Amino acid sequence: MGKDTDRIDEVRKAEEEWQEKVLDPRVNRFKLQKSPTRFYTPTDRNGFNFLEKVGFPGQYPFTAGNNPFDFWRAFAEESAKRGHRPDWGGGGSVGKYGGFGTASDYRDYLLRMQSIGRTGGPNMAFDLVTQCGYDSDSSEAEGEVGRVGVAVDSFRDFQIIYEAYTGDLEMDKVASNFTINAPAAVIIAMYAAMAEKRGIPLERLRGTPQNDILKEFIARGTYIYPPRQSLRLFRDILVFCNEHMPKLNITSIGGYHIREAGATRTQDLAFSMANGAAYLQAGVDAGLDVDTFAPMFTFNAFGGSMEIYQEIAFQRAARRMYARMLKERFGAKNPRSMMIRQPVSAHIGCSSTTLQRPLNNHTRAVIGGLAAGMSGAMPLSFPPFDEPLGLGHSLEAVQLNLDATRILIHEAKIADVNDPWAGSYMMESLTDEIEEGAWAEFDKIEKMGGAVAAIESGYMQKAVAKSAYERQKRIERQEDFVVGVNCFNDENEIDVTVNRAVEDTYDEESMRSAEERQKVNLAQLKKERDGGAVGKALSTLEKHAGDETVNLMPDILECVKVEATLQEICDVLRGVFGEAQPVRI
Amino acid sequence: MSEERKIRVLVAKPGLDGHERGARVVAYGLRDEGFEVVYTGLRQTPDQIAVAALQEDVDVVGLSILSGAHVSLSRKVIERLKDQGADDILLVVGGVIPEKDIPTLKEIGVGAVFTSGTSIPMIAEYIRSEIRSDGGG
Repeated sequence: MGKDTDRIDEVRKAEEEWQEKVLDPRVNRFKLQKSPTRFYTPTDRNGFNFLEKVGFPGQYPFTAGNNPFDFWRAFAEESAKRGHRPDWGGGGSVGKYGGFGTASDYRDYLLRMQSIGRTGGPNMAFDLVTQCGYDSDSSEAEGEVGRVGVAVDSFRDFQIIYEAYTGDLEMDKVASNFTINAPAAVIIAMYAAMAEKRGIPLERLRGTPQNDILKEFIARGTYIYPPRQSLRLFRDILVFCNEHMPKLNITSIGGYHIREAGATRTQDLAFSMANGAAYLQAGVDAGLDVDTFAPMFTFNAFGGSMEIYQEIAFQRAARRMYARMLKERFGAKNPRSMMIRQPVSAHIGCSSTTLQRPLNNHTRAVIGGLAAGMSGAMPLSFPPFDEPLGLGHSLEAVQLNLDATRILIHEAKIADVNDPWAGSYMMESLTDEIEEGAWAEFDKIEKMGGAVAAIESGYMQKAVAKSAYERQKRIERQEDFVVGVNCFNDENEIDVTVNRAVEDTYDEESMRSAEERQKVNLAQLKKERDGGAVGKALSTLEKHAGDETVNLMPDILECVKVEATLQEICDVLRGVFGEAQPVRI
Repeated sequence: MSEERKIRVLVAKPGLDGHERGARVVAYGLRDEGFEVVYTGLRQTPDQIAVAALQEDVDVVGLSILSGAHVSLSRKVIERLKDQGADDILLVVGGVIPEKDIPTLKEIGVGAVFTSGTSIPMIAEYIRSEIRSDGGG
């Protein structure tokens, strides 16, 4: 050790000399304020302890990755020989994210996908009406029914969707994803009621509800109740799943939406961790051992950007920070509790794409794929280049993304080395910097009283809005450059276009008529169901909602079974909990 | 010398869409450009927007729409403004708007459409030129 310290001193001395004799004269020669580049040396990771900071892949603190190699890597060569399309699902995994129109429109779409071999489980997008806790016949629903996802008003709709999953694709043989947050309890109850009705034990169900309500207040915006009451519902789901559906992931925490809304890397990481800590604490406060439920926490994704070194460092820092938080703050002992399980790692984020010269977005996505491959995941190139056009992803754009990933895996062999930057002076320094910055912000939020308090006061929302505006100003002042947007955009530049064929998946006519058809379905439901039973179930829910010690999941399950609508259930809770108010800036 | 009245802008998010980044950035930006800006927050109905526009006595309403419902929502806001006799208010739209829809939006009375990559000074300049040439301000 004495010898190493001597070397650091030697390097430091040499560095000072280099700066004085080599670097500074060059900076002066070009009349710059400072060097436009940075060279990292051993002094930048002074005191670096490999086992403490990095460790081995699959071991604490997971900086080098969750596994010695991932599942997909084990079968990469086999997949290449068989021409596997990861986007089509199969093998019990979820299929492509989607949903539109009424439940029967979506069921028919799923059946059509299955008939051409796309057999993944349902990965449901719900329309905004459902996401915000309304029924298709409410005034808030006008024009939005079945638009950005499928409309689910009642248990009947849910059952119709699952008509596509029987036999070999029975609901316990595929995984289901639900991108649902504020009404997550209702959708999970429908899923449980569905299994009960089919005689399938709940403990066999696999899937992931997004169920990350806190980030909805910071970004994305589909909240219903105030943050504190929302967290109570989260606790009820956690406890219920822990007891009855141990294979169902409890939440899919997302920094992705927060960064897309404008957050800096530090805010993305700190706010996600603060939200995660609030969810974990909810389980602990309910009297559960953290190791019983934390392994069922997942992450959707963090945000991304074009800054490749920083984004690789970010993923390493995120894994280490979460592992430390679980071990040191929550006393977890099971390594699985300490892992960030997420389907992707680094990526560019859709907000890095440009409407100007859109084919450049493919180049950008490939850089994101490279960052992913070098930060512990499949080198996924995403999004398709036509993402910002708002016209749906074309088959060509999706093909280019898929092929880029395949080229990175099979030709560039990006995925043959774990954590390839481990030990790099630059990467270890950046990783430390990001983690330290995020802990400082995290501690600040803890002092405010945690994520819920920081949302109630509007702190997180305003911080993100300000960061978004700062970014906009940097672009306008040409402090940040975006090719084709604020530079290289004169008449000498030409747009490169390719053919775009959009798969005919969503029928425009059925989307247009969804609202009317769904209203008819609702009217029929209200006529046919046992009104007395609905009233009774709703009033029990109302009574229990006022008592914070009661778990509401059994009551919500009962409401779902007697065919109370999603909005009726949400309205009862609105009455007791109140509604969250938007933050004005 | 009395100061010229500041141009007043209502930035509004119609419908249930929660993508708020653009609306917030434009609100901050136009404020820095010297406009009086009111931001409605999320989930406003066309009725609420028209009422707010009148109450706040604005010269301009800016709708931020990323849900794909831009044509129907813009049409409704324009109708509600007309109902209130406030069709002199300039309506501009921003968000994810496919190019093919821009002529339709202009036909129904949208003054300008600002898509991704627009700078705040461009929006400000457009608003100033429209309001001033109308004899407003």
